[in-house]
Amino acid sequence: MGKRCNEILTLDSLRIGYHSGKKECLLLSPLSACGRRGELIAVIGRNGIGKSTLLRTLSGLQKPLGGNILYDDRSLSEYSRMELARKVGYISTEIIKVTNMSVYDLVSLGRFPHTNWIGKVESDDQEVIFDAIAKTSMTSFAHKFISELSDGERQKAMIARLLAQDTAIMVMDEPTAFLDVASKYEIMHLLHTLSDVAGKTIIYSTHDLQIATGQSDRIWLLLDDKLVEGAPEDLMLSGAFEHLFSSSSVLFNSKDGTFSFRSEIRGNIFVEGGGNRRKWTEKAIKRSGFRVAQEMTDPYIIVPSDCNLMWKLVSKNETTEFPSIYELIEGINNRLSNAT
Amino acid sequence: MKTDQKNGFSTGIPGRRVRALFALLFIILAVFLILDIFLGSVSISAREVVSSLLGHSHGDFGTIIMKFRLPKAFTALLVGIALSLSGLQMQTVFRNPMAGPDVLGISSGASLAVAFVILGYSSNMAPDGLSGLGNWILVGASWLGAGVVMILIMAISVRVKDIMTVLILGIMLSSGISAIVTILQYFSNETMLKAYVIWTMGSLGNLTASQLNVLIISVSVGVLLNLFTSKMLNALLLGENYARSIGLNVRFARSVIFLSTSILAGSVTAFCGPIGFIGIAVPHMVRILFRTSDHRILIPGTVLLGGTVMLASDIISQLPGSEAVLPINAITSLIGMPVVIWVILRNRKYSGTF
Repeated sequence: MGKRCNEILTLDSLRIGYHSGKKECLLLSPLSACGRRGELIAVIGRNGIGKSTLLRTLSGLQKPLGGNILYDDRSLSEYSRMELARKVGYISTEIIKVTNMSVYDLVSLGRFPHTNWIGKVESDDQEVIFDAIAKTSMTSFAHKFISELSDGERQKAMIARLLAQDTAIMVMDEPTAFLDVASKYEIMHLLHTLSDVAGKTIIYSTHDLQIATGQSDRIWLLLDDKLVEGAPEDLMLSGAFEHLFSSSSVLFNSKDGTFSFRSEIRGNIFVEGGGNRRKWTEKAIKRSGFRVAQEMTDPYIIVPSDCNLMWKLVSKNETTEFPSIYELIEGINNRLSNAT
Repeated sequence: MKTDQKNGFSTGIPGRRVRALFALLFIILAVFLILDIFLGSVSISAREVVSSLLGHSHGDFGTIIMKFRLPKAFTALLVGIALSLSGLQMQTVFRNPMAGPDVLGISSGASLAVAFVILGYSSNMAPDGLSGLGNWILVGASWLGAGVVMILIMAISVRVKDIMTVLILGIMLSSGISAIVTILQYFSNETMLKAYVIWTMGSLGNLTASQLNVLIISVSVGVLLNLFTSKMLNALLLGENYARSIGLNVRFARSVIFLSTSILAGSVTAFCGPIGFIGIAVPHMVRILFRTSDHRILIPGTVLLGGTVMLASDIISQLPGSEAVLPINAITSLIGMPVVIWVILRNRKYSGTF
């Protein structure tokens, strides 16, 4: 390949891996990809394929085995450690365990590549630090010790530190790992804002395809023999994601980007009714191994049109009513086992 | 603390509390320094002490004050500063709250080097009989011994992440080094042996004027180097990866810190013998007092408190008003032990937290 894309970030037939003794262990075959200013880039791949190694290599923590990484058309190897620290920031899944360190202290360490030999925080550094804390909505936590924070708060504090470092490129290894659903979306919202409003190029790895495809501008999909890049929608259309699941019993639905399990089809059921209740009822019967039929079946389901009404399971000789989808599914299962 | 109006929270600029603590510590240090000169096994009236210090008294009291108490007080001050600072640096660079010059075998390393000089070369090299260049040879050997053990411990720490495992390996290293010293003792003659054994007991009062000079120079260099490392130490708190990602040259930082620690711990060990518990306990006391992890505050705090604790230990060891003098090591252990136990117990709660 070897083409330059005149972007903020270019991987030029990059070979990554590690040295064990004198032997080189190549993890990934030559990778070529780009990143533009202000893009949110998700790195996706199975466990152990080398996502972390790629991110560490991008951050200059590990030497590439070959190829080149260009930041603003300048090779990573030409940057001094300080210059690189002003260009690329890094967050890993490693949890910092220090007592007596306040969020403010942590964030001000982000100014490391910008301050003098003793680390004096000047007034403009101060501005940046306040700004970083405010942007991550950590203001009320500024003087809490990091050992007292929850996982989500600590991750925000780490992102604030990265913001204070004031780099154009931010590399984050699984920023949403260990987080509950609410914190996960809060962090993703933050990353989205940072790339959109502050113009940061953010490269993050994740295992959550839903989040990655929903939020990212670009996806680097690491497969065993290549890196596939593109907008999430392009990868959907090309069916690239299916490679992630080819060997397992999970089905990727490229129509709407959802997953389902391969399981035996137990039968067809017709659903009568509409709206949101129909949608979730269909989802429930699919989950239990049925297909939604296009024409009338026996039995069939009538979805209630009003919250006071009941779900009805109608067949030739009887009609049963259920107050919830849970009981409806139970009813269908009972009816079927009685029939056989 | 100063409050930033716009953002509504206080800044990290040393606030009123920190400044007040520094002032308080400085006053306490000054008081203990004076007390250490005024109090001793021989009771000398305050007026005598003052006139001796002003150089008006040339009698026995004058000699005691000028030739004995004054140098000893300054030695205590320097030893306290040096050991505490080396402990602080080691705790951060090894990310291990239990690190200290005496715990991880740094003092043992220095002792071995000193043993080689005293036992292997000549009993004339015992600290008592040294002057001029000999002092520097002894101190240099001690720095080297301390430095080599530091590098060994670092090599272990990089591979073994568990704090307690590193600690146990440090203890093993110490015993191994002690074994070598024992073998050296076995093959040395009586005078050499006596000189060495007296040295191991640890003492602040046996330094000659030229040795005190060497100590002053070495400790000053160590402290200056340490000030230079404060920013690096702050970065190292985050761990090697993050430290590198924010632009720290980790290898360079470690080299400077090791140099500073070896000079500080090595010089003290060379002249005063292995003195325990100060190096590990004082940094924790300072952290409790200032409630910060910022080395720009911890380092001056450690200098002030380290000096104070050592002066206090020296005053206690002389049992003012009585003839007896207790070994300084016993006092420092009694002061340091509760702090170390507290750190261990607290660490069980936040397992693995530094």
